[in-house]
Amino acid sequence: MVNWLLDPLAFEFMQRGLLISVIVGIVCALVGCYIVLRGMAFLGDALAHAILPGLAVGYLASEGDRGALFWWALGTAVVTSIGIGAISRAVRIKQDTAIGIVFAGMFALGIALISTVRNYAVDLTHFLFGNVLGVSQSDLWLTLGVGVSVLVIIFVFYKEFLVLSFDPTLVTVLRLPAPALEILLSILMAVAIVVSLQTVGVALVVALLVTPAAAASLITKNLRSMMFFASLIAAGSGVLGLYASFYLNIASGAAIVLTCTLVFLLIWIWKQFVRKPPARAETS
Amino acid sequence: MKPKMEPEHSKDSPALELHNLSLRFDGHSALQDLTFTVDSGLHVAVVGPNGAGKSTLFNILAGLLVPTKGNVFIHGHPPAQHMCLAYVPQSSQVDWTFPVSVEEVVMMGRVGLIGLFRLPARKDWEFVGKCLGRVQLKAFAHRQISELSGGQKQRMFIARALAQEADLVLLDEPLAGLDIPSQEQILNILDDLKQHGITVLFATHDLDLAAVFDRILLLNRRLIAYGKKDEVLTANNLSQAYGGTMQVVETTDGRIMLGDSGGHHGHEPEGRHG
Repeated sequence: MVNWLLDPLAFEFMQRGLLISVIVGIVCALVGCYIVLRGMAFLGDALAHAILPGLAVGYLASEGDRGALFWWALGTAVVTSIGIGAISRAVRIKQDTAIGIVFAGMFALGIALISTVRNYAVDLTHFLFGNVLGVSQSDLWLTLGVGVSVLVIIFVFYKEFLVLSFDPTLVTVLRLPAPALEILLSILMAVAIVVSLQTVGVALVVALLVTPAAAASLITKNLRSMMFFASLIAAGSGVLGLYASFYLNIASGAAIVLTCTLVFLLIWIWKQFVRKPPARAETS
Repeated sequence: MKPKMEPEHSKDSPALELHNLSLRFDGHSALQDLTFTVDSGLHVAVVGPNGAGKSTLFNILAGLLVPTKGNVFIHGHPPAQHMCLAYVPQSSQVDWTFPVSVEEVVMMGRVGLIGLFRLPARKDWEFVGKCLGRVQLKAFAHRQISELSGGQKQRMFIARALAQEADLVLLDEPLAGLDIPSQEQILNILDDLKQHGITVLFATHDLDLAAVFDRILLLNRRLIAYGKKDEVLTANNLSQAYGGTMQVVETTDGRIMLGDSGGHHGHEPEGRHG
């Protein structure tokens, strides 16, 4: 049993892969709590797909340097998330329609760019589905730095983000800087998506954002503990998923996401059949 | 306590002043040329048929909608500088499954006062506790919000307005869907607000209830009448506000208004205070 756990750790790529999966899981889970509570899963998925042209241009410009790719992707994600809001206001269409237009258009542009060079096909697969075992030491440091920054921002703006998520009208009534807070939250979402590129890739990011947070929302009625449980589920799924990937020889991104899904299902079943519903409040 | 941005409230300026306020949506006039003044400490019932613009008016006052034309002054200043206005939303607009407790929602009212980069201090939580006490919800402080009854939910939002230290409170249909005891509890809290000199605008369908307020504002896209009940609740004004949907019938018991398409009706027996 101990060997079973320790054997994979003999490989440096597994050590780095496990560490980055844990960090990425925590970042995605924290940001994902806001995404789940505000019903923005579609926006998250769209943002993830919309960064593909940024990755493509970054790849062409920097000749495959991972660090440069990170900033290209982040820039594209931030511009896209702000752009979606601006388009839905300017054209006066519903936000989900604006998201659909931008999402598909940008994704197609990304594929078009990448398809111009044939041997980019391997890299396209990495962008789409992640390549957690190809993480370098500098990737790890960058991800750690970004992760800590996200944690600090969520801690500092906790009460403002809480108001923004629960009652956006109160943000205006209290004369808080509503657009600035919205943009900051969009940037956090963009950051979470970009750091998870390496573990699960563009196509599966939304699962890492939404599934742990949704599972946590089933077991607690408090935002702080929802964030704690979501982080725990995401980090745990990252580790379990990588072990599954190692021993069962399945793609690592898919293994991590499937583990999250499985945890969600188990919690849901436990809630449905085992645990009694909580007693109703008495009226005063 | 008050943040720097909050301008001084001069004692002689009214709580609320509207000058020629109009709002147009897609070429339709939602509100037209509203001019009125609410003196500090008054409780005003805002009445009118469905679609009269009651919620729209509140949204403009709260800063959620920008008027096409005209001005709003709160204590003599434009609304953008104020945090002294609180807005109690309609219950249906809230996500009750949201993972927050009652006291956390009430604390949200203080987020502007606490300021950026700061956590709520001990005295903020004590203040929130006091606000919950004033609406008889102290025992429910740690409950998740979906565990509250309809009346308790409304009281929680009134406590949030208190926590905000607001002196102008907008209540949008706060009694909708509540049973009689819950309605009375909320009306008692209004008496408490009155004693503390807090100005209240209270949107309602109920003409009977409106008659107990200091002033009535009768609205149907434009201002039909504003003043005390005897000046406002006249046959002429009511038929202007409710148009063909409202029948004003003279009976031996007084004057009866048979109400609009929503099935609401109010009656005001004239003999009672004629």
